Amino acid sequence: MPSAYIGEFEQIVLLAVLRLGDQAYGVPTRAEIEKRTGRRVTVGALYATLDRLESKGLVHSWFADPTPQRGGRSKRYFKLLPEGVEALSVSKTMLDRMWRGVRLKGASDA
Amino acid sequence: MRDRPKTAGESACPTIAEAMLRWLVGGRDADAVSGDLREAFAARGGGRLWYWGQALSCIAVRLSPYRRMLPGLGKDFQYALRTLRRNPGYALTAMLCLALAMGVNTTLFSFLDSMYFRKLPVPDAGRMVLIHREGDDKFCAWRDFGSVRDSVRSLEPAAQTTFFDSLDIDQIGQYATVVMVSSNYAKVLRLGASLGRWFTPADALSGAAGPVVVIGDRLWKTRLHGDPAVLGKQIGTLHRTFTIIGVAPPGFRGTSPPLPVDAWVPANDIRSAASGFMVDLIGRLSAGSSIDTAMAEMRVLDARLRAANPGNPRMQEPIRIEPASGFRTDTRERLLSTLWLMSAVSGIVLLIACVNVANLLLSRAAVRRHEMAVRQSLGASRARLFRATLAEGLVLAAGGTALGIIAGYWTGRAIEWAIPFLPATYYRGIGLGVDWRVALFAGGVGFASAILFSLPPAFANSRNLHAGLRGGDGVRLSRQREFYSLAQVALSLTLLVSTGLMLRALQRVQNIDPKFATDHRLYVELFAAQKGGKPEAVTQLFTGLLDQARALPGVLEATLAWEVFPGTGSTCASPSPQEPPRQMRSNTVEPNYFETMRVPVVKGRGFGMKSAPGSPADVVVNETMARTWWPGEEAIGQRVWLGCEGEKREMAQVVGIARDSKYESLSEDAKPFFYLSRRQAAGNGYFSLIVRTAGDPYGWAKPLLSQVRGNPDFTVYEVKTLEDAVAASLWGIKWRAGLLASLGLLAIVLAAMGLYGVVAYAVSQRTREIGVRMALGAAPGDVQWMVLAHGLRITGLGILGGLPLSVAAVKLLRGFLYGLSPFDPVAFAAAGVAWLMVAMLASWYPARRATRVDPLTALKYE
Repeated sequence: MPSAYIGEFEQIVLLAVLRLGDQAYGVPTRAEIEKRTGRRVTVGALYATLDRLESKGLVHSWFADPTPQRGGRSKRYFKLLPEGVEALSVSKTMLDRMWRGVRLKGASDA
Repeated sequence: MRDRPKTAGESACPTIAEAMLRWLVGGRDADAVSGDLREAFAARGGGRLWYWGQALSCIAVRLSPYRRMLPGLGKDFQYALRTLRRNPGYALTAMLCLALAMGVNTTLFSFLDSMYFRKLPVPDAGRMVLIHREGDDKFCAWRDFGSVRDSVRSLEPAAQTTFFDSLDIDQIGQYATVVMVSSNYAKVLRLGASLGRWFTPADALSGAAGPVVVIGDRLWKTRLHGDPAVLGKQIGTLHRTFTIIGVAPPGFRGTSPPLPVDAWVPANDIRSAASGFMVDLIGRLSAGSSIDTAMAEMRVLDARLRAANPGNPRMQEPIRIEPASGFRTDTRERLLSTLWLMSAVSGIVLLIACVNVANLLLSRAAVRRHEMAVRQSLGASRARLFRATLAEGLVLAAGGTALGIIAGYWTGRAIEWAIPFLPATYYRGIGLGVDWRVALFAGGVGFASAILFSLPPAFANSRNLHAGLRGGDGVRLSRQREFYSLAQVALSLTLLVSTGLMLRALQRVQNIDPKFATDHRLYVELFAAQKGGKPEAVTQLFTGLLDQARALPGVLEATLAWEVFPGTGSTCASPSPQEPPRQMRSNTVEPNYFETMRVPVVKGRGFGMKSAPGSPADVVVNETMARTWWPGEEAIGQRVWLGCEGEKREMAQVVGIARDSKYESLSEDAKPFFYLSRRQAAGNGYFSLIVRTAGDPYGWAKPLLSQVRGNPDFTVYEVKTLEDAVAASLWGIKWRAGLLASLGLLAIVLAAMGLYGVVAYAVSQRTREIGVRMALGAAPGDVQWMVLAHGLRITGLGILGGLPLSVAAVKLLRGFLYGLSPFDPVAFAAAGVAWLMVAMLASWYPARRATRVDPLTALKYE
C-alpha cells in the first residue's frame, strides 16, 4: 500500500505545505522551511521538489488570480492530497519504528 | 548599501535575470516563480546577487532534463582539453591571437559601457534622472529652484551648474571643473564623504561662517597628497578663498560623466541668488513615479516658469529628462564619430584574429584527417565529429577570452594614461574599467567568434572521410586556407591605409605655419587676484613684473597677453550699436606684443603706451576682420561696440590691421579676430608673461619663476614654450593616429602570422616536389623564389581585393583628416608597399627552409 517512497526533503516540503494550510505558495513555504530547519533553500530546489510531488500525485497545485502587489504575477498555491497525507504518515510510522529502542551515545533521554 | 532598508516600490530586481528566468522557464510557472522572487526580494530589501543565484537555480532545474539530449558533451570537452594540452604551442598561439583582438574589443566595449550604461556610484542609482533642456541649455534660473523643489512631487531635485574655474593651492594654480550645487545635493544623491561632510543648508546662507568646498578624490590624492588633515585647509578660486570641509568618496566624479569634477561649492557662495544664473537639475524619482510621470509634472512646472520669465532666451528649448546613466545625450553625440571609428577598427582586428584561428584549426584538420577518418570508420557520427571540433574551438575561445579581459584591462589603462591632462577634455574621465557587463560582453564575443572560426574546420573534419583516408583532401584545404589568408591581407590593408591617412593628416597639420614666432619663446601663465576691487592695481602689478623680467639676463624681449595659443578669449562685438553683438575671439595684449610675437601690423598703427583720457579704446583687427566687417571700405577709423547682450557696451576705434595668424588650432580657417590693449582694458587678473630668450628657453624658466614666486600676489598655472604649446594642440589627432597605428600594427602582425602559416604549410606539403626539383638541378634561388612567389601571390591578390574595401572604409575617416582627401594616393601606395614587404618577411623563413631540403631525404621520406 505505501506506494510512493518519499525522501527527507520531500517530507520537509510536504510538512511545510501542510502547516501553512491555505497559505501555501512559494514564498511562505520557503520561509517556513528555512525558519524551522535552519537550512537554506533555493527557489529552484523548492519548485523542483513540489513538481515532483505533484507528479507523484501527493500534492495538487493551482494558480490564483494575479495581484498587483507582485507586479501582476500570479501565485501558485499547493495543497496536500489524501495520498500525500498517507505518505507522510507512512514515513512517520516507518521512522518511529526504526527509532524505537535506539539510544544515541551521549544523548540524554527526552 | 545593499542592506539598506527600502520600501517596496523602491527596490527593483535585476531586469536581465528576471527576463532570462521568464524566457527559460516559460508559461504560468514563470509567472509564479518570478512573482515569488519579486516578493522575497522586496521582503529582504534587495540583494541583486541573491536574486541572480535564485534565478539561476530555477533555470538550472528547468534545463536539467535537456542535459540528456547531448550525450557525451562533457567527453567532447575533455577530449578537446586533452588535445590542446598535447599541442601547447598551437593552443597558445590561437589563444594569444584571440586575446589580443578580444583585449581591443573589451576596451572598446568598456568605452561604450561608460557612454551608455554605467550608472552613478550612488545607492539606487537607477532612479536618478538628469533634467535639462535640449541643445545643452540649462533648466531654470537659480532663483526659481526653491519653488521648483517645493512644488514638484514626482522627484526630489537638487540644482547644479558646472563651470571651469581655477583652483589655487599653495600658489600653484590648476584649471578645474567646479560644480555649484544646492545644499541638498548629497542628500538627494545619498552620497557619503570619505572625509568630513557635505553641505548643510546653513553653508549656503550668505551669513555663514565662510565659503566652504568639498573636493574630489582625485584632487585630494594628487594635489593634496591624500593628506588626512586636509579639512580646514584653504584653497583659492578666481573669486575668493574656500575652506575644505569634506572629500567626496573615491569613484564619485560628479553627475556629468565623463567630465571629472574636482570640487563642489554650495550655490549662493559665488554669485548672489538674485543674479538669475541658470542651473540644471539632478533628481531622484520618488517611489511609484517614472520618467513619464516626472516629465508630465515638469512640463506643467516649465509652463509656469516660462510665464514668470517671459522672453528669457535661455528657456525656449523643450525640457529633457533622461536617466543618469552613461553620458548625457549631447555628450554622446559629440563622441559618436570616435566610437564608430573605434568599433570599425576593432571589429576588423577581431575578424582577422578569427580568420587566423580558423586557419590554424584548418591546418590541424589537415593533419588530423587520418584521425578523423579512423574515428568515423569506428562509428562516430559526422555530427559527433562536428561537435568535437566546435568544443575545441570553444575551449580555445574561453582561454582567449580570459586572457583578453586581462589584456583589455591593461589596454584601458594604457589609453587612459595616454590622454593628456586637459581641463574639459571629455576623454579624460571615461572609465575604461572592466565590470560584469564588460566581462559578459567579452564572453559573448568570445562565444560568437568561437562559432565563427570553428565552423570551417568543423565542416572539414566531418566531411565524408574516405577521401581523408586516402589523403586526397589536402589541396582543397590548402585552397581554403589561401583564401582566408588573402582575406586577412585585404582586411588589414584597410587599417594600414587608414593609419597612413591619419599620419599624413598629422604631418600636414604639423607643417602648417602658425604665423607667429614660436622659437625661443617661453610663457608663464599667471593670475593675480584683484585686491580691494582696484583693476589698476593688477595692471601695475603686471607692469612691474614685465620690467623685472626684462632685467633678467638672457631675456631678450618680454610681453604680456591675456591668452596664448591655443586658447582665445571670447567677447562680443558689433560694428554698430543697433546690431546684435556677435561672439568674437579676441586677445588683450601689451603694446609690444606684435613685435615680440612677429605678428606684423600691416596697416595703421599698434597700441600706444598711453592713451588720452576720455578717448575711445584702441582696437587692432586682423586682416580677415577688416575684410569681412567692412568690405570695400577702409577699416582703420571704423567703430566697434564691445560687450555682450545685457552688458554695458563700449565703443572702440580701429587703429591698425594685424596680419592673420592661427589662434585656436593649426587647422582652423582664417577667422575674424581683434586685439585690445592691456593698458586700456584691465582684464580679469589672468595674463601670460611671454619672453624671448637667448638659448634654451627652459633654461631661463627657473630664474623667471623664482622672480614670480617672490611675489605672493601671483599664482602660477603653466610654464611652457610656445613650440610645446603648438605641439600639444595636436594631441587629438596624434591620439587617434596612435590608436589607429597600434591597431593597424596588431592587424598586420596577426595577418602576417596567418600568411606565414599558409606558406610554411605549403612548403611542408611540397617537400617531395621540391626535392625532385632540386634533384633535377633547380638552383636554391629558384626554389626560394618559388616559395616567395607563393606568398607574394596571395598578398598581391589580397591587396587587389583590399583596395576597393579601403576606398569604402576611408570615407568613415573624412571627419578626422583635417582637409586631406581620404583618397590620398601616397597613403594607399605606402600601405600596398608595406604589405608587400611584410609578405616578403613572412615568406622568407619558409623559403629558406625550402632550400635546405635535401633531395635524397625528401625522396626517401615519401
